Amino acid sequence: MMKRLLLSAGISMLWMFIALISCAGIVLMAGAAPVSVAQALLHGAIGTQYNVSNTLVQTIPLLITALAVVIAFRAEMFNIGVEGQFLLGAVLACWAGQLSIPGPFAIIVTLMASMIGGALWSLIPALMLHFRGVQIVLSSLIMNFIAVQVVAWVVRGPLQEAVREYPQSDPIRTVAELPKVVAGLQLHSGIWIAIAMALIFDVLIRKTVFGTYLKAVGSGLRASKTMGLPVSRILFTTVLLSGALGGLAGGIQIAGVTHFLADPYSKGYGYTAIAVALLARLSPIGAIPAALLFGALTSGSSAAQSAGIPVVVLQVIQAVILFSILGARYTASRFLRTQTVGESA
Amino acid sequence: MQPPVLSIQNISKAFGGFLALSNVSFDLFPGEIHAVLGENGAGKSTLLNILAGITQATTGHITLNGTPVVFTSAVDAAKAGIGMVHQHFMLVPTISSTDNLILADMVEDRAWFGWPAQAIRKRIANQAKSFGWDIDLDARIDSQTVGAQQRLEILKALQGERKVLLLDEPTAVLTPGELPGFFATIRSIAASGTAVVIITHKLDEVLAVADKVTVLRRGQVVHQCQTAGTTVHDLAREMVGGDSSAFSVLTAVNENRGVSQPKEERVTLRDAAAVSGESLFKQGNVAIRAGEIFGIAGVDGNGQGALADLLTGNAPLIAGSLTIGDLTITPQQSLSQHDFLRIGVAYIPADRQADGLVMSMSIAENIVLDRMRDAPFLRFGMFIDQQAIKRFAQTEIEQFDIRPADQSRIVSSLSGGNQQKVVIARALSKNPQVLVAVNPTRGLDVGAIAYVHRALRAATAAGCAVVLISTELDEILALSDRIAVLYEGSLSETLPGGVSKVELGRLMGGATQ
Repeated sequence: MMKRLLLSAGISMLWMFIALISCAGIVLMAGAAPVSVAQALLHGAIGTQYNVSNTLVQTIPLLITALAVVIAFRAEMFNIGVEGQFLLGAVLACWAGQLSIPGPFAIIVTLMASMIGGALWSLIPALMLHFRGVQIVLSSLIMNFIAVQVVAWVVRGPLQEAVREYPQSDPIRTVAELPKVVAGLQLHSGIWIAIAMALIFDVLIRKTVFGTYLKAVGSGLRASKTMGLPVSRILFTTVLLSGALGGLAGGIQIAGVTHFLADPYSKGYGYTAIAVALLARLSPIGAIPAALLFGALTSGSSAAQSAGIPVVVLQVIQAVILFSILGARYTASRFLRTQTVGESA
Repeated sequence: MQPPVLSIQNISKAFGGFLALSNVSFDLFPGEIHAVLGENGAGKSTLLNILAGITQATTGHITLNGTPVVFTSAVDAAKAGIGMVHQHFMLVPTISSTDNLILADMVEDRAWFGWPAQAIRKRIANQAKSFGWDIDLDARIDSQTVGAQQRLEILKALQGERKVLLLDEPTAVLTPGELPGFFATIRSIAASGTAVVIITHKLDEVLAVADKVTVLRRGQVVHQCQTAGTTVHDLAREMVGGDSSAFSVLTAVNENRGVSQPKEERVTLRDAAAVSGESLFKQGNVAIRAGEIFGIAGVDGNGQGALADLLTGNAPLIAGSLTIGDLTITPQQSLSQHDFLRIGVAYIPADRQADGLVMSMSIAENIVLDRMRDAPFLRFGMFIDQQAIKRFAQTEIEQFDIRPADQSRIVSSLSGGNQQKVVIARALSKNPQVLVAVNPTRGLDVGAIAYVHRALRAATAAGCAVVLISTELDEILALSDRIAVLYEGSLSETLPGGVSKVELGRLMGGATQ
């Protein structure tokens, strides 16, 4: 046991070292000082109250979209259309947020609308799979491009601001906004929704019949069919849940951060979410630290960028950090595997 | 005397704290057929995997033609002249026979340049012909029968200069009619100088084909001898340890036939027909009674798949009618799979790893998977009652003697026999009205076969109608109260259980009554 702990600690340190050296090398090649870049990144992520808040604000959409990926991938439904579902969620939230609905209900209606938007967007690939056998991985991706065009159209058409000057919508009503957690900081109460979703989905996956069937269908489709599990219903529900989560992330972004819709709207959260979910090994709880890491990297990078460090360098550093984590995990599994396998034959 | 082509000395293999093999040694001579016999989990597959370079021994040496060798991968072993046919086939299902063999050539660096597809085709065709095999070189693997796939695996393993051919449970998938041909093939391969190692559970096969036999029990060699002068009973005794209890049980089961009292008709087919994938069940008229084992014999690929799927709700009825209990199903009036479950139809599918089990889930989850939505495993409409499932699984594990007796163990880490016990535990713990079992003892050892047979007999005693669809003629004859033969999708008239093997063989070959 002790030996294993030492070994895994050693592997982590080795990879941390590799990551540091490669990052430093990249920064040096780009003609900047590694130490000051590191400082800028760290400062940007957690240096001040404002930066911590910004890190968390970045984490919220990443966490919720990552949960959308987690649930779908667990059933081997490779929904890479979370980006599009995010956008449709934002569109419907923006519309619903402008309706005159009395105070406390406005926010609920707004977020519900976003979930419906996302779910409807994921319903199309789900139907195509069910009736025509079209692979989700392809159809959901294509739906992303359509979603981008839908946003472009609504902000120039039905949802365009009243003055009709820019391709953007009017802001949602103040009662439909998510309240700030601390006055003066950007951090909004969507953070609680995100954490609650991670917990709910953790329970859903581990403790419910649905979660168990999700796994059964994902890893043993034929056996699940032979046993008479409601395979189609499970897959449909999964895709719709995934879409609803993607939409919710978009709705929360509208209600908590931007308050209006503009073109282009997403920063690619739905794509980054795939990396976050895989880093979390498809665990809803694991998605919390994974999203936090990406949130910190995003926030740190934007601060470092304003300090004059080229954006390309920052992107490469992000990639190096991600690869190092995966590398450490792979090495650990290789070295520690021989001691965990139980039997054969 | 010739020197051995392959010599293994004191091979041991440990997985964690579990010693799968302990100090195993034997010599293999050119042209020899060497059988390795043992119960499930005795270490046979581990031994073969070490020889084929798939896993590495913890301690011990392997000598090939007098030189010590260390294989770090299957390709290493293949290049050194050791070919292997796995129990679970290693073919790419979506490409043709020829392409699979070309692929194997590429992996072993024999055909990177020139791509002699025509030459390879010719070589395969000639080889197949020399064995008397009819192989469709252009058909996709997934459209071929298991028997055809195995023949292809053997051809694949024989490509290149083969000194040693390893066969893991080769006869598990063959029909009685195919066995003599298969044995002749093995003998002619051996006669050409290749040494053959064959793993099997079937004692009479060892005597029929092998020159020498090594018996493994719990990872150790307990017996090594020439097959000449050895009897089935000797081998059975060595295999199960000391006495031949498991084997005598098998005989006892046979004698038990006819003791149970058949009751009312439980499953009735009237001009029924069904299609499932490539499998076609054209027509059948039969009435299966509660409390009997109804054997359906036939060579693999004669409609067994479609018939089993029809009876379990996995394939729709396209003509005629099917009555189960007092429910009649017609092409217009179908039932869902869940309805079949509810009226008490349980299923032991032919391919336990693909259809029977979710391999990445635990024993407990697999036992209750299809019943999780019902009491007592459901709480508050959506949550699973982990404790109830654990308790239930633990009782079933004890009752069905699943080893290791750990309900949280992932099914993929169990031996084949224990995986099958999980499938059987799920089926029988429902106290089914109808049990459809397809090749339920495929790839199991004597002890496990006796176990399965007893379980099926016990189910009839409880009033269940058992439909036993098996390509194993001995199994059908040993267990069935009544028998019908499936040939090209059509079911023969019902025969009594005591029908002769010759008569069944005739019907299986397409003769009419």
